[in-house]
Amino acid sequence: MQLNCKVNGKACCFEIEPNEMLADVLRREGYRGVKVGCREGSCGACSVMFNGKPRNSCITLAAMAEGADIMTVEGLGTPDKPHLLQSCYVKHGAAQCGFCNPGSLISAKYLLDNNPNPTEDDVKEALDGNLCRCTGYIKRIEAILDAAQQMKKSAKSTRGKK
Amino acid sequence: MLKKLTQFYHPTTIEEACKLLAKPKTAVIAGGTAEALRKDDSIEALVDITHIKELSHLDQDASTIKIGATTTVQEIYKSQKLKGMSGNFLKQVAGTVAATALRNTITAGGNLAAQLWWSDLPVAYLILDAEVVCRLGKPKRTVSVVQIINDTPAKFLKKGEIISEIHVPCFGNNTGCDFRKQIKTHHDYPTITAATRITLKNGMISEARIACNAVTPFPFRCQEAEKFLVGKKPTAENIEKAAEKAANSIKYREDYRASKEYRQEVFQVMVRRSLEASVEAAKK
Ligand SMILES: Cc1cc2nc3c(=O)[nH]c(=O)nc-3n(C[C@H](O)[C@H](O)[C@H](O)COP(=O)(O)OP(=O)(O)OC[C@H]3O[C@@H](n4cnc5c(N)ncnc54)[C@H](O)[C@@H]3O)c2cc1C
Ligand code: FES
Ligand code: FES
Repeated sequence: MQLNCKVNGKACCFEIEPNEMLADVLRREGYRGVKVGCREGSCGACSVMFNGKPRNSCITLAAMAEGADIMTVEGLGTPDKPHLLQSCYVKHGAAQCGFCNPGSLISAKYLLDNNPNPTEDDVKEALDGNLCRCTGYIKRIEAILDAAQQMKKSAKSTRGKK
Repeated sequence: MLKKLTQFYHPTTIEEACKLLAKPKTAVIAGGTAEALRKDDSIEALVDITHIKELSHLDQDASTIKIGATTTVQEIYKSQKLKGMSGNFLKQVAGTVAATALRNTITAGGNLAAQLWWSDLPVAYLILDAEVVCRLGKPKRTVSVVQIINDTPAKFLKKGEIISEIHVPCFGNNTGCDFRKQIKTHHDYPTITAATRITLKNGMISEARIACNAVTPFPFRCQEAEKFLVGKKPTAENIEKAAEKAANSIKYREDYRASKEYRQEVFQVMVRRSLEASVEAAKK
């Protein structure tokens, strides 16, 4: 069957099996940023933005994404032009093996899109479904709070220039 | 998993969905967090009900909270509309469900229909005397949540019938609720889930509800213990006796997390503490 959806802003039409999971389809189509860890909704490595909200693509049947707007980590930034969150992850050492990062960055993006002034507890809650086995949980919190600060500053200076 | 699946439908009305679901080997999917992993290879078609606008809503008036079947657990948790005893209680319980991305996906109807031992909201529905609206096309019936849970949703719902709404009464003054879960880590499944409600009238208990999950294979109301409390004063002794009755009324499930014996002992303590907290809240 065919799946029509948008991935990172681009209209796509994928040939899928009715029982395939979205994570597998996305990876097959080249979105390798989508990682598959547990395959049961527990680790968050496969998180993608699904109609504006993080969702575990490993337990989402691809057919459910008909008409959906999906964003993977590839849509966030590139190695040449990383998103501020990605730069902050690097700066704070929140990436080690990197396996959890695509998922946790999606959760972090959702948080900052909806809450420009997050507290530490807000960050912890937003990333409550993203396990990281390497860095521990402090560094990514620092990275996200730093990104929020920088976003606020740049928003202020842009406002000042107007 | 779902090896024989060949069709996937995305209806936009309840009538259309029920018509499709009346076909053989066809099942409903909402959040899909349980359905997608179902080891049932007899299913040939799935009907995705998340495109039906009528099923996604969350409203509260003076007497009732109405939760559409495809309203997500996160929408309940973060709702600005839910207020008062019942509303805040539902928000609190919704916030304990799984993690953010899962809460964005799990639906109120799916959470009830899946009837798993780790399901949280059904325990809250039980102590709040919720009612469940079921639709078979246009015709609808409204039943108590305890009936649908005791019969099990899979058996209770007719072929082609879906849960469309959950109605939760708004309890006011003199009522207190409490929910607690014993869980090893935030990410694990619970060993014990317990919830209670107490309504006081002239210093006496006029209504009591005690419900549990995880100690049982699916959400359960300890009605014998509830009956014991009605008409009595909320003394420490009565509460302890009720907790003991509740703990003795259950056939315990066990897994590697905890033995039956452990669960029984701790469940009794949790029910006692939960009843104490509900009584305190009812006095405020
Ligand atoms: C890792 C993980 C952790 C979890 N932790 C928790 C937790 O802590 N607490 C908790 O409460 N839940 C938890 N859940 C969710 C729970 O296990 C179920 O997966 C969930 O409640 C199912 O809801 P859904 O909307 O995804 O339903 P689906 O998977 O779409 O459906 C579940 C079942 O209900 C039927 N169904 C769905 N909607 C309707 C309807 N409207 N009418 C009739 N039948 C319907 C389907 O046919 C299917 O049989 C967790 C899930 C995962 C994957
Ligand atoms: S791979 Fe999806 S949550 Fe672990
Ligand atoms: S960086 Fe390795 S799991 Fe998080």
